[in-house]
Amino acid sequence: MDASDLKLLPPDIAEAAATFEAQLDACGTLDALMRLKGTFTGREHSLAARLMEALKAAPKEQKRELGALANQLKNAWEEGIKGRQEALEAVKRDHAAAASRVDPDLPPPMPLRGALHPLQRLQDRLVGIFAALGFHIEEGPEIETEAHNFDGLNIPGDHPARGSSDTFYLEQHPDLLLRTHTSPVQVRVLRRLAPELEARGGIRFVAPGRVYRKDDIDPTHSPMFHQVEGMLVGKGIGMQHLKGTLEYAMRALFGPATAIRLRPSYFPFVEPGAELDVSCPLCGGKGCRVCKGSGWVELLGAGLIHPNVLHYAGIDPEVWSGFAFGLGVERTAMMVSQTPDLRLFFENDQRFIRQMGGLD
Amino acid sequence: MLIERKALETFLPALAGLGQPELCEHAAALGFPVDGQEAVDGTVVLDIDVTANRGDVMSHQGFARDLGAKLGAALAPFALPAIEEGPARVEVLLEAEACPLYATALLTLGAGATPEPARTFLTHMGAPAKGLPAVDASNELLHLYGHPTHAFDADKLRGAIRIRYARAGEKLVTLDGVERTLSPEDLLIADEAGPIALAGVMGGDPTKVTETTRRVLLESAYFDPRTVRLMARRHNLHSDASHRFGRGADPRMPRVARDLLVARLQAWAGATLEGAWAAGSEPAPAAPIAVANDLLERIAGEPIPPGEASEALRALGCGVEASAAALLVTPPSWRHDLAIPEDIVEEVLRLRGYARIASTLPPLDAPPRTALTAYGFRSRLATRLAHAGFHQTVTYGFVSPESEAGFALNAEGRTLANPLGREYSVLRGALLPSLREVAGANQRRGAKEIRLFEIATVFEASPDGPVESMRLAFVWGGVRGGEDFLTPARPIQPADLAGVAKDLGFPPEAIEVRALEGGLYGVEAPLEVLAWPSERCIPAFAPFSRHPVVERDLSLLVPMDLAYRSLREAVVKALPGTGVLRRADCVDVFRHKSLPEGRQAWLLRFAFQADRTLTGEEVDGWMEAALAAARSLGAALRT
Ligand SMILES: [Zn+2]
Repeated sequence: MDASDLKLLPPDIAEAAATFEAQLDACGTLDALMRLKGTFTGREHSLAARLMEALKAAPKEQKRELGALANQLKNAWEEGIKGRQEALEAVKRDHAAAASRVDPDLPPPMPLRGALHPLQRLQDRLVGIFAALGFHIEEGPEIETEAHNFDGLNIPGDHPARGSSDTFYLEQHPDLLLRTHTSPVQVRVLRRLAPELEARGGIRFVAPGRVYRKDDIDPTHSPMFHQVEGMLVGKGIGMQHLKGTLEYAMRALFGPATAIRLRPSYFPFVEPGAELDVSCPLCGGKGCRVCKGSGWVELLGAGLIHPNVLHYAGIDPEVWSGFAFGLGVERTAMMVSQTPDLRLFFENDQRFIRQMGGLD
Repeated sequence: MLIERKALETFLPALAGLGQPELCEHAAALGFPVDGQEAVDGTVVLDIDVTANRGDVMSHQGFARDLGAKLGAALAPFALPAIEEGPARVEVLLEAEACPLYATALLTLGAGATPEPARTFLTHMGAPAKGLPAVDASNELLHLYGHPTHAFDADKLRGAIRIRYARAGEKLVTLDGVERTLSPEDLLIADEAGPIALAGVMGGDPTKVTETTRRVLLESAYFDPRTVRLMARRHNLHSDASHRFGRGADPRMPRVARDLLVARLQAWAGATLEGAWAAGSEPAPAAPIAVANDLLERIAGEPIPPGEASEALRALGCGVEASAAALLVTPPSWRHDLAIPEDIVEEVLRLRGYARIASTLPPLDAPPRTALTAYGFRSRLATRLAHAGFHQTVTYGFVSPESEAGFALNAEGRTLANPLGREYSVLRGALLPSLREVAGANQRRGAKEIRLFEIATVFEASPDGPVESMRLAFVWGGVRGGEDFLTPARPIQPADLAGVAKDLGFPPEAIEVRALEGGLYGVEAPLEVLAWPSERCIPAFAPFSRHPVVERDLSLLVPMDLAYRSLREAVVKALPGTGVLRRADCVDVFRHKSLPEGRQAWLLRFAFQADRTLTGEEVDGWMEAALAAARSLGAALRT
């Protein structure tokens, strides 16, 4: 259509028709577009309606030409508006989609998370390692008699450990004390199982638990700590079995490349007695601050069960023999984690427990 | 124990060619790890760790003996001064079996002083010279040969010397200046005026050697180890002498040590020997120990040729007679620790080196036990709580009596006789006070939310002593939520803890949430409230109903003071039994000023299911009945 065609139209319609495209572009919202639609193509009073009226009133000779022009304009307006409406609706849909979309990088809500205490984890790990070798779990009371804590373990009556400067006693029950090691569990279990020993073929167990010694609280001492005790009774048990068992356990705990060594030592309830060193788990034996450059760290005390201990429990040491070992859980935990202060394990700061503990 | 390498080499010249690391290796392999070493004055001072059973190693001679046996090297020949014993110059009366032999000598001191090498040696031993030759020589001998001796100022002694037990109430001021009240178990050296020394432990102050001392009476005796240990413990007086006599001195040494001491005083202080004599005799040597070859093989894990074992034992000073099946071993006089065959086997293995012991797993004697233990049950419970967001704590088993107020009774029956302090004096009767303390410490360090638990022993007083049982306690407090864009922050409420308890399997009547201070709540219960998991890993199958579940809500306006428990009970009573009623719970509580005054709104949710399809009419009927029951308690339908 060219401008000369518009001359046939009433002047205001011609002007509106000339600016339709500009007005359409100016519609930024659907509301504005609907208003424009009303103005141009609405059923009543719109430019299109008036165009129809003008067509009716036009002289006969102009009707054909004007009719073609009116149709052309109306179609152009309707299509323009429809196209614009689709475009605006698409924009609106995009906005709605954006509004409902959550940035996947926002920190999500997390399930609550706690942690097991590191001492519990290490203790569980040790118990599990020995379980694989058939050691079941035995536990004993924290309050013990002198008989179980000392006598049954071949600890002489005048041993300093029995003194009130080393061991906690009960005020109203002077015959009772807080066990100073998990070894009284040995005495209890041996006595309990002695009658069925032949039928069972042997005994093997680990005894984890809390023990108490009268030490002041400082970075390396605590009046309460944990031990894991182990014992095996069988026929023909010798030092080679102790060594084999501990080698297996230390490799399970520290990794397959771990080396062990036994050194002579002394504990009243074993003979021969030994101290176990493991190749330093931190430097692998090259020498570091933890192993003081030696490549070895001392880990536990062990030995073959003293005949007096078997005898006390009613087991014939001529027939049966075995080994025992005991390990300090805190000491091991401190060594492997390089925790500088033992008190951290008993302060129970939630951050410490989360960092050092864990969930399994 | 401190060892000076230079002095050690005088006993064992073969050490001269041995490097320091090799020396430490040998020491550790023998059971004497080196705890420290320091280079001083052109030699090295080692700090070696000697186990409590080896009093005989607490000297240079003793350590050299073990090292020599290990290295197969001989000790330097022993040059003993020739001193003739004569008649007693002061009568010595042995009145207690605990002192079988008392050797002595009387000397007049001349001019002279402790020589420089001895002074340096004593400094290395951490016991600097006193400048009194009699005292310094005695100390030097102790460190070199391990036998404690003592010198009295002879001019301060009155009459005969008696070795006897104390009479109750006798007193003695010991060299450390402390006045000690003696008991009849204390073995004394006494003169006519009274006690002059605690035998084998410490000399008396009034008769000690000083700068003005002109004549000295020496003491070199053998005292019963147990008697000395008990005295040292009774008087809390642990001296170099008591350590050595208490672990067992060499009964052959009293005369030797006396003679060495006399020779030193003659050399250092120009002393003149007035006389040397002794009372009593050496205790009888220990009986020989028969060590069966089988025992040796069993403990070592392999056969050890009897010749090798004999050689090792002889190197250590034992007398050995070999027969076909056993070795008959007589320990040397200085080895009090060798008493049973196993002790002898340990000596053989020690000299061979524990490194030579094979490494073998013991044969399995019985099928492993797989049943869940109490320990395993607690471990699982702990893991579950950790997964539910709680931090496991380990707190001391003893607390202050004050902290337990309101939590446990009868602290007297749970009190320690010798606690570290009042703070740690009572074996705890409850866990919550400990958790409350840990929670407080965490809050003071800035924790906004506290989630803690402990599974541990508690104690209950009884006439036979405290009874132990295992408990679980957990605390939760502060604010939860508010840490992400979806979960609003809100304070912890008791219901949060009740939910955890319910989830763990607490029966409803065992759930008691206690309000602790600071927005903290706690639950504590004996472990027995929790059901032991079934032995079977998967329980028997029970078919589900395939008919649909009908869910209905009932919105009620209820008086503020109406207890939910009684409302629920009344409503449930009006409904069909659990075969059909699958659920009846409050799922929302609404309180608002738009509600009538004194009322709140509860939304109850019901679920019904049966072995048939339920009709709308019968469910409507039940809901009517429920509403009627609620109305009877003052509730109204909220519309
Ligand atoms: Zn290292």
